[in-house]
Amino acid sequence: MSQETEKAAPPLPPPPAPQTTDGRGRFLSRGSTLLRWVGALIAGLVVFGAFVLANGADPFAVYADIWTSTLTQPGQFQQIVLRAAPIALAGLAVVVPARAGLVNVGGEGQLIIGAVAAAGVALWLTPVASPWLVMLLMVLAAVVAGAAWAGIAAAMRLVVKVNEAVTTLLLNYVALYSMLFLILGPWKDPAALGQSTSVELNDAMKLPVFAGTAIHVGVALAVVAAGAVWFALSRTTWGFRLSVVGGNAEAARRAGLPVVTLLLTALLIGGALAGLAGFIQLAGMEYKLRPTFGLTIGYVAFLASWLSRHKPLPLLIASLVLAAIAVSGNSLQIGSGLPAASVNILMGLVLLAVLGWTSPRKVRS
Amino acid sequence: MIIDILAGAVRGGTSIMYAGLGETISERGGVINLGTEGAMLLGALGGYAVTAETGNPWLGVLGGALAGALLSLVHAVLVVSRRANQFASGLTLYFLALGVTALFGVSYVSQQINAFTPVPVPGLSEIPGIGPILFDHDPLVYIAYVAAPVIWWVLFRTRVGLLVRTAGERTEALEVHGYSVQAVRYCATVAGGALAGIGGAHISIAYANSWFENMIAGRGFIAVALVIFAMWNPIRIMAGAYLFGAALSLASVLQTSGIAVNQFALNAVPFVLTLVVLAVLGRRTMLAAPDELLKVFDNSRTT
Repeated sequence: MSQETEKAAPPLPPPPAPQTTDGRGRFLSRGSTLLRWVGALIAGLVVFGAFVLANGADPFAVYADIWTSTLTQPGQFQQIVLRAAPIALAGLAVVVPARAGLVNVGGEGQLIIGAVAAAGVALWLTPVASPWLVMLLMVLAAVVAGAAWAGIAAAMRLVVKVNEAVTTLLLNYVALYSMLFLILGPWKDPAALGQSTSVELNDAMKLPVFAGTAIHVGVALAVVAAGAVWFALSRTTWGFRLSVVGGNAEAARRAGLPVVTLLLTALLIGGALAGLAGFIQLAGMEYKLRPTFGLTIGYVAFLASWLSRHKPLPLLIASLVLAAIAVSGNSLQIGSGLPAASVNILMGLVLLAVLGWTSPRKVRS
Repeated sequence: MIIDILAGAVRGGTSIMYAGLGETISERGGVINLGTEGAMLLGALGGYAVTAETGNPWLGVLGGALAGALLSLVHAVLVVSRRANQFASGLTLYFLALGVTALFGVSYVSQQINAFTPVPVPGLSEIPGIGPILFDHDPLVYIAYVAAPVIWWVLFRTRVGLLVRTAGERTEALEVHGYSVQAVRYCATVAGGALAGIGGAHISIAYANSWFENMIAGRGFIAVALVIFAMWNPIRIMAGAYLFGAALSLASVLQTSGIAVNQFALNAVPFVLTLVVLAVLGRRTMLAAPDELLKVFDNSRTT
């Protein structure tokens, strides 16, 4: 019995019923998604409050603290948007492969490798080339490096059949240690005091900001990328084929679809998007590599993609919400003396609630 | 120096071995648990906290096992009862554990504990070469020597093991005989989490003798990969775990012997090694995978 139902239920919550034009159905599903979201958030807040209480702090004071320091100040909203941009891009790196039924947990590593490649280009070419050329090559290097990093996992999936979730996870650590090797070794800034970092980017290589704000061009890039991914997935043959593969690869293969090529492109494009996230994190936010560069962005992005059920436009909202939680982690540390990483609990709880409430059968109907 | 590396391999591989054995049980039952990393983290903190409060490292091991089991119970609820995606659930639990241990671990950073100390086995530890490598360790290392064959025996020679393996291979056969697939998977997943918790506790109360944030540093993920190329066999897990222990101990031994190597290049070695072994052996080992597990792995089959 269970065998039967399990066969019927795909392991991924049903990829994107190839967008129907049934407006009413979509509206309903949007409504229930919203409801589940609010419920999950409340459940997360309650349980997190209990944890905070168990740790000897007053949850109400903590929440009030988060509220005033994170959400009521105009500067903070810009901070949230800035944080959300790389999360959204790295989240798209989960969305695209997920359409084809692939689980890319390697956003973290692909982002770091992208940033490392961009930093390398900046390091070598800044003295010899014009700023615009350097910036262009940085983007290119980040995209290619991210795609190549995901390509390793794709090759292992397609050639030796090792699941990509396992390999992308391992590659995250290889990427992290490679970056640490570089910034504590050959790329170390001799002038850096205390923490080892790479040399800061030249001012000309920093992403320009929109006049009167702190919002850099990378944010616009993330929004455009989300739009492009939405278009590619729901309005092109390639996107449709991807979701066929994700729904039933066997059927897709028998129908003559190039399954291997589709899986490969999905993962490579995912990696490229995560590499791009690494670029904007480097050129727009941090300006240099440091041991904590891009820390947990890839994992948060994975949660964001699952929260939005792998849909590009809701992903933007999910990224904003998770970015707000991440920003509140800083105020938590300053205000209540709780470690910033404790907000991971809140993110984890929200996604757990969503995963737990989304039984495949319900989503299908 | 070779003896140092090998002794370090046994010591450092033990935590990965416990986690790998746990993951083997869970995957034999058809559930992959990426939350192993999280279960180890919770186990490390749970073990450390209980040891710090009671002064008894054995109670710490128990605490670690409970903490790991608890996290895996959540995984079981989500993937067995609620049919959530196994990878997503596991990774979310890792993230949750990261936060929980950061929050509750603050007060234990730099606190002293009554940790496990090496207990040389009388007689055996005197043997040159083999003695220091195998018989001059903390008790959890010795228990691990026994645990791998015992778990192999339980999985392949007892009724309980048969039930677990059937849950991972042919669920309908289990149901024909009146057993609940769900119940068996719950038990396998929770038992796996308990072992991962013990592995985590080994790191905090016998290996590093301290607690710090994110101290597992990917060992749980290595354990998950290890299970694949050990072909879901506890005895091979043992061999593989010591191989990774060697990769881990290489760094510290080289450093103490004054050879200048970049520490981070060496830290990457176990992960690169895992990937290379997977690439070389992956295709063959996947043939040994439990059927139900293949369904989880191959969301989109290519052949």
